[in-house]
Amino acid sequence: MANFIPAGDGGHTGWRAAVQKLGGNLAGMVIPNIGAFIAWGLLTALFIPTGWIPNEQLSSMVGPMIVNLLPILIGYTGGRLVHGQRGAVIAAVATVGVIVGTSIPMFLGAMIIGPLAAWVLKKIDSVLDPITPVGFEMLIGNFSLGIAGLLMAILGYLGIGPVVNSLSDVLGSGVQALIDTGLLPLASILVEPAKILFLNNAINHGVLAPIGVVQAEELGKSIMFMLETNPGPGLGILVAFWLAGPKILRGSAPGAIIIHFLGGIHEIYFPYVLLRPLVVLGAIAGGATGVAVFLATGVGLVATPSPGSIFAYLAVTPPGNHFGVLLGILLSAVVSFVVSFLILKASKAGDDDLAAAQAKSKAMKTGTAE
Amino acid sequence: MASISGADVKHLVVACEAGMGSSVMVAKQLAKQLKDTNIQVTHTPVNQLADATFDVVLCHRGLSSRAKQAAPGAVVVIFDMFLGDFRIAQLVSDLKEGNEIVGD
Repeated sequence: MANFIPAGDGGHTGWRAAVQKLGGNLAGMVIPNIGAFIAWGLLTALFIPTGWIPNEQLSSMVGPMIVNLLPILIGYTGGRLVHGQRGAVIAAVATVGVIVGTSIPMFLGAMIIGPLAAWVLKKIDSVLDPITPVGFEMLIGNFSLGIAGLLMAILGYLGIGPVVNSLSDVLGSGVQALIDTGLLPLASILVEPAKILFLNNAINHGVLAPIGVVQAEELGKSIMFMLETNPGPGLGILVAFWLAGPKILRGSAPGAIIIHFLGGIHEIYFPYVLLRPLVVLGAIAGGATGVAVFLATGVGLVATPSPGSIFAYLAVTPPGNHFGVLLGILLSAVVSFVVSFLILKASKAGDDDLAAAQAKSKAMKTGTAE
Repeated sequence: MASISGADVKHLVVACEAGMGSSVMVAKQLAKQLKDTNIQVTHTPVNQLADATFDVVLCHRGLSSRAKQAAPGAVVVIFDMFLGDFRIAQLVSDLKEGNEIVGD
């Protein structure tokens, strides 16, 4: 059983749960707002000067959406997670402070100030609520939020905005150095295994996308959106499992391919890799190949393709980038397939373990073993 | 280990990271399989489990330690595959037949 699913929920996963939790909180502020990101992404792809149908008036919405609307939504959602509707409102107020304090899209700043402001209000409420006289709830509630919101906005403007701005500069130039030196494909060595451990949303929405939007605002596109979201490596892995995986897994692979590649639910291929952990090498090789092709052809996306479906990819690919994007996805799928296929062929003997593990697991359920 | 009789389960919640992708998919599949019963199937982000109403939590093994943190004492059933998982099949038959459901 120990080798059955190495990513089990045993004692050794405490750090993973902690990292997932942090990342989950970051992603939890972004993911509910993906619809707004898509509206912005499509607006950008269509109407900016290098878009499909350039239009000066309509493209004037692009800037306010990315600089104001999206960070406020992120802060708002972060606040709501911490302290409900009141938390959401104060977070939105405070987020304005970090936005106007800087010139870049303040995703990271919003992720910090939003929950922080809501947490402060939660503390204030826990002090004021018990001592509020009957009939004064609304008066005190509104003014405590208003005054605390004002103070948090000032803190964001003077304190958090400038700090996050310089942090973003450092991150941005680090990433640019990786791009310039051609080392960016090495990122797959970290990204692909982390995905399998369900850190996919944390990495993409928490780390890569905030860097990507800064680039996209300057250059009209970014490769950072493609590091985690490329559906090619997962496709290669699932095809390999379909043709050469343990027999018990082959039946579900075609359905999983559709859900993964067309539906964009990458989670569906993680369990296959967890059952045959070496296959992660296929994911890494495929991922690195994809990034190398994207880099060599100079392509990028205008926004995060979320979910990571081929359709979402096509929707946020700017004009003239389709060849490089599709080639990268195709080659990453081919490389990941070949590597995974060879690994699965070489570990054929494993079928018996799996059957044994299933029998054991069944025995545990009926209470005959534990 | 927490447990509950399948006959007492009125509400099953599927948890995933975002509560919008894989959990929705699994919840839809389960709702279809359980449509002859009165059991309601919903989905939630794993970090908001504490605010959800449920009798049984279903989540993938990779998120199970967080599910248990978020909902201490809950009956947490863990699956490995998003399609064709035998633990989910077992859960469905336990629910239909009213067998005891023991958390993983």
